Amino acid sequence: MSLLVMLPIATVFFGFFETTSDYFSLLINTFLLKYISNSILLLVGVLFLSFLFGVGAAYCVSFYEFPGVSFFKWALILSFAVPAYIYAYSLTAFFENYGTAFSILTYLFGPYEYNVFIPKVDGLFGSIISISFSLFGYVYVLSRASFYYQSQNLIDVGKNLGLSSKKTFFKIILPSARPAIVVGLSLVAMETLSDFGTVSFFSISTFTTAIYNAWISFDDLASANQLSFILLLFILFLFFVENFSRKKAKYHSPSKGGFVNRSKIKLIGKKSFYATCFCSILFFCSFLFPVLQMLYWTFKFPKYLQDLNFFSLGINTLLLVFLSCIMMIVFSFVSNYGNRVTKSKFLEILTTISISGYAIPGVILAVAFITLVSYLDSLIFINFKTMFIGSIFGLVIVYFVRFFALSSNGIKSGYVKINQSMDESAYLLGYSKFKTFTKVHIPYLKNSVFLISILIAIEIIKELPITLILRPFNFETFATTAYIYASQDLLEAAAAPSLFLILIASVFILFVSKYILSEN
Amino acid sequence: MGRIVIFVFFLLTISGIVSANEVNIFSARHYDTDIQLYEKFTAKTGIKVNVVSGKDKALQKRIIEEGKDCTGDLYITADAGRLGAFQEKGMFQKVNSKVLKNLIPSNFRSPYWFGIAKRARVIYYATDRLSKSDLKGLSYEDLADSKWEGKVLIRKSNNVYNQSLVASLIANNGKKKTTEWAKGLVSNMARKPKGNDRAQILAVAAGEAELAVANTYYIALMLSGKKGPEQQAAAKKVKPFFPNQDNRGTHMNISGGGVLKHAPNKANAIKLLEFLLTKEAQEHIVNNTFEYPIIEGVQPNKLIAQFGLDFKQDLKTKVSKYGKNQAEALKIMTEADWE
Repeated sequence: MSLLVMLPIATVFFGFFETTSDYFSLLINTFLLKYISNSILLLVGVLFLSFLFGVGAAYCVSFYEFPGVSFFKWALILSFAVPAYIYAYSLTAFFENYGTAFSILTYLFGPYEYNVFIPKVDGLFGSIISISFSLFGYVYVLSRASFYYQSQNLIDVGKNLGLSSKKTFFKIILPSARPAIVVGLSLVAMETLSDFGTVSFFSISTFTTAIYNAWISFDDLASANQLSFILLLFILFLFFVENFSRKKAKYHSPSKGGFVNRSKIKLIGKKSFYATCFCSILFFCSFLFPVLQMLYWTFKFPKYLQDLNFFSLGINTLLLVFLSCIMMIVFSFVSNYGNRVTKSKFLEILTTISISGYAIPGVILAVAFITLVSYLDSLIFINFKTMFIGSIFGLVIVYFVRFFALSSNGIKSGYVKINQSMDESAYLLGYSKFKTFTKVHIPYLKNSVFLISILIAIEIIKELPITLILRPFNFETFATTAYIYASQDLLEAAAAPSLFLILIASVFILFVSKYILSEN
Repeated sequence: MGRIVIFVFFLLTISGIVSANEVNIFSARHYDTDIQLYEKFTAKTGIKVNVVSGKDKALQKRIIEEGKDCTGDLYITADAGRLGAFQEKGMFQKVNSKVLKNLIPSNFRSPYWFGIAKRARVIYYATDRLSKSDLKGLSYEDLADSKWEGKVLIRKSNNVYNQSLVASLIANNGKKKTTEWAKGLVSNMARKPKGNDRAQILAVAAGEAELAVANTYYIALMLSGKKGPEQQAAAKKVKPFFPNQDNRGTHMNISGGGVLKHAPNKANAIKLLEFLLTKEAQEHIVNNTFEYPIIEGVQPNKLIAQFGLDFKQDLKTKVSKYGKNQAEALKIMTEADWE
């Protein structure tokens, strides 16, 4: 299974040794440094903001009581529903010359040349903002969970030692939540590096752009492969850092008995005002702002809403979600169960590597897939190309490669919680391996499966580049429809499909908010 | 459960293969109004039109890799350079259609692909700060003149319209002069290139710069009110200037299409191309995308016609050459630090 995921990735690797055209040397001489520094700036900016927003919000809602806290607790995860490229559309629409901000000012204060006063949120800054607001949720959810399960004992010890609340935060709370935060940030990092839609919308050239350019403008697949290879190495490095930091640490208090239900500190006066403000602004910026911008357009240009065939778009989107979920969950079970039963180190490493699909830009993955299928097709007589390229089947396979990390890791973390002795007891009771799987593992992992299905669903609803390249004739989703309008410079018309996309994703999120925020 | 899934996959795969009286289009020119046009075609001929739209090169990649199994019949895109480059790769097949030959001026077609609509890449100026007489004789070449230092806007070098424009300069002035020109233009830029063509025009309206290079249809799009009353008002502050009137004429480009090499429905594809050049279809195109018609006897939309129709078009530079020079153009722009 892991091999299947690895094939396209391997295609990228093997290209490394091909000869290149002069694009590579031109690139090195001119823009490569610029691209790399853009990528690094983007990464650092996004990681910083995600950390600030994610950990900050998680800290507020986990430890303190202030007006609106129970609302913000789940409202902040709605940011997952807004893909970074739609956030980018909203930013541009609002801040551009004669954009929404201009309209609002004109409406409020009468006609005037306001453009000079409106800050232009675009380019690298715009990309950082868009990606941060749509991804900080990872850090928020994970660090919140970690904060919640943090032992009250530790904090009490700190208090007894006379630490201020600031010191408690930096000396105790933050370090013990470190693994969760690192996992969150590494997810954000991978998604940032694989982003193409947002940066290309703002026409910022990153490392991913260099890959795309090498391949597109210079038809230089070899250079593209070499660059992808470097990106992949970097991502694998990140991934191992993440894995490493998780393995070394056993931070969680092991037994349920030790867990003392912590009472939240009630904030009063200024502090409670600040906390409410921080969370309100975060909620506004991450969710309300793009939604309102899209709503404003949908109402301002109602014709586009009438033209939208949202029934068929919805069916298509959900069909992809349904098929992908089944495929990913089934295979995650197979690979995780395999790991558990055989305890093979090799399998484990293979699984780890196969997960790196998550970090490869969708555009590149889709093309690697096309190249691979064509190559395999040329080897044998049976013609299966049309079965994979331009078919829903092919789409689902590439989604699988891209998002397998999500489902595999999810099932894995569920499995970790089932003590190995449980399996042994089952064997002692005479259960076969298969029976142990169906009677013991599955009931235990029911919630994980539900949660993961929804997470996959949200990712697939938002997915754009793979769908765009590989979809069959006359097959549109909300994401592709929004893109098509946006690319003919009619963001106004992209508003309605974007809005539906956000709406559906939000409904899915609300389904699982109970689990994500579970306090038991 | 597993069986059901396999069955569903099977059905979906089959439904993708079965062909009927239809024509399959890969389109990088994804106007939703094109879809309405295809519907008209279906109503008229009974031929079903299937479309996959997407980014130009990604679609090309898919077509190339699908090879002889590619079910696409027609590839439609904006920019002659892209059409030429795709032809170079041998992905189109020759089409002998008298109708197409008679209707399309020779500069805007090849034996392999055919222009559907025209656009000009022009220079916009704000009427409250500059007048047409200030710009008299202005050419693309003049944009590198130090007279315009800090006053010119143009989008990034990765944009294909810029690549075609620079390709045409290479064809006319040679690599060396074009390299110098690109350097001069970069030093004249009012800001680092960002945003699309429309953003350049709006920035001139907002006073950020004096001149902006952009395609013709964007101004009409704003004037039409499709972008809201504010941008409609802003668009009224600027006008397009048609450069190089004293020599070869204004840089022209096309939207166009060609029949793919392995097209399973070649006859239908040609029918569709011919349909796109009927008066009815051309009127639909010019009134929705604000491009110029490619056939005689159809007027452009009045929002674009008001800027004049008698300007000299560059018919000397073969649009079919853009493709060959595009890679060189990007190289020159890159070396000139044109982001």
